[in-house]
Amino acid sequence: MPTFTHGEVSIDVDEDGFMSEPDKWNETVAAAIATTEGVEGLTEEHWKVVNYLRDYYLKFGVAPMIRKLCKETGFKLNKIYELFPSGPAKGACKVAGLPKPTGCV
Amino acid sequence: MATEVLQQDAQAPARAATLYHIENPEVENKAERFLNAFAAVLHFTDYKALLDSYCASSAKCGRCVASCQVYQVSRDPRDIPCYRSNLLLDVYRRHFTVGGWLKAHIGGGWSLTDALVDEMADIFYRCTACRRCTLECPLGIDHGLITRLGRYILSMAGIAPKALQVSVREQLEGETRNTSKLPEPALVDTLEFLAEEMAESLGVKLEFPLDQPDRDYGFFCAVSDYLMEPDTLMGNAAVLYAAGDWDRWTIGSRNFDAINYGLFYSDWHLERIIKRLVGEAKRLRAGTLLIGECGHASRSACQFVPVFAGQDELPVKSFIEYTLECIEDERIHLDPDIVTEKVTYHDPCNIARSGWIVEQPRRILRSFVKDFVEMTPHGRTNYCCGGGGGLVSMDETHEWRMKVAGRVKAEQIRATEAEIVVAPCANCKKQLKELVDYHELPCRVMGLHDLVLRAIDIPGGKSARQRQDEAALAATA
Repeated sequence: MPTFTHGEVSIDVDEDGFMSEPDKWNETVAAAIATTEGVEGLTEEHWKVVNYLRDYYLKFGVAPMIRKLCKETGFKLNKIYELFPSGPAKGACKVAGLPKPTGCV
Repeated sequence: MATEVLQQDAQAPARAATLYHIENPEVENKAERFLNAFAAVLHFTDYKALLDSYCASSAKCGRCVASCQVYQVSRDPRDIPCYRSNLLLDVYRRHFTVGGWLKAHIGGGWSLTDALVDEMADIFYRCTACRRCTLECPLGIDHGLITRLGRYILSMAGIAPKALQVSVREQLEGETRNTSKLPEPALVDTLEFLAEEMAESLGVKLEFPLDQPDRDYGFFCAVSDYLMEPDTLMGNAAVLYAAGDWDRWTIGSRNFDAINYGLFYSDWHLERIIKRLVGEAKRLRAGTLLIGECGHASRSACQFVPVFAGQDELPVKSFIEYTLECIEDERIHLDPDIVTEKVTYHDPCNIARSGWIVEQPRRILRSFVKDFVEMTPHGRTNYCCGGGGGLVSMDETHEWRMKVAGRVKAEQIRATEAEIVVAPCANCKKQLKELVDYHELPCRVMGLHDLVLRAIDIPGGKSARQRQDEAALAATA
């Protein structure tokens, strides 16, 4: 299993860089993963998305419907792509420490 | 000839990297495992008669090159459909026929090697399983079926794409029983969210029916719709409501995923997923399986429920057929003045060429879309989106799907000058949206019911015109 190392952070990840053990996530880990997603420095707007995804995941065990993410954060989809260039499912969810989405997603 | 090619490939020092992730890449004794799996498949299935028939004809004439959109771009001989089929037919001839056995023991023969198994593992997944080559083959060889058989044997030998295996394992053995690991409380939350959205936009207060017994329709869509496609789902729901069928359908909480990746690589899994689907319908005592917008899910349910359901068989209907019936019976009304953009339609291979749905979506679209334009070619001779056969769920194939498998499709879409590409399939939509981004095509991709949602008049709620006026007002505010 590959290991991702950035500064003091060292975590197990899958082939696409998603965390293998999502419960080891913390804000430092998020900032480290963000560097792999073309995000240098997480702003308040990034955290708004990440925290919403994280909270939803802890409550429901999966990412929310993308439309719901947009509505709850007040960001349109293109704004989310501006914040996370690989998009909500592959970019934002990765930074929020969610496992890689499976199936037709 | 093909045997010589096989031997050359076996000796080749370098091999192009496999396009996809394999869960356990270090499978040992691949050749032996492959032959054991092949023997088991021949023993327990009817494939032997098919292979005998194909071996008696040929698989070398090459007429299929003209029809394959992968080969048209890659120009790699390994992508010629009959070359691919012949790989498996050669293994069959050598190891499972008397002639092949004698030839090998008298001299000059060859035996399957691990390297040849690796080669097949690469080549059988450089195909989108679109079956366009079947239109050209003068001998009637179904190269798509041979590819699926090759993938099936490989999977029995322990070699299959991780993305498919992980999803199917969750669907058959996991807690959530669906390919996207969507737990039931998340489904309930999503349905409540969709109901709120519909109340806001359509002006009707509804509760999505969950686990309601004895309904006419048990609704199953690709589970990814619950994560990605609110407009497709709300379009489905709007038709059911407007047609007066809100009390006639239900979603099942124990199994709500119509995806069946078994269709792409494993008959064994295909059968079990079908039985799960039918089992849920039986638990709910639903009358008909109503399958949401998804090509392979509709095809696998329609064609394999009769095969595998036994005495629990029940009718299967695609949501496209249902909506067309509602329009033609005048149970719903779509406002013809709402959608003014130029619209084209992408035929998902599994329901068009390999299925029965070609004219139905066009009749729906022509009933309310002013400017409808066809792609060339279309219908049963359509080009695949470039992500079929399960490839779209393997993210690691993205670059290949954009540059090779999907390139013909991208050019075909561009030539229509359409602003909206309608694709009633979860697989196709994902691939086409990626193609639009990658090739910078000036259009949007959406489901059929996303467009129906825009034009449908809601009895007791807002008309399509009213919603359009409100949206225009909100945009200027």
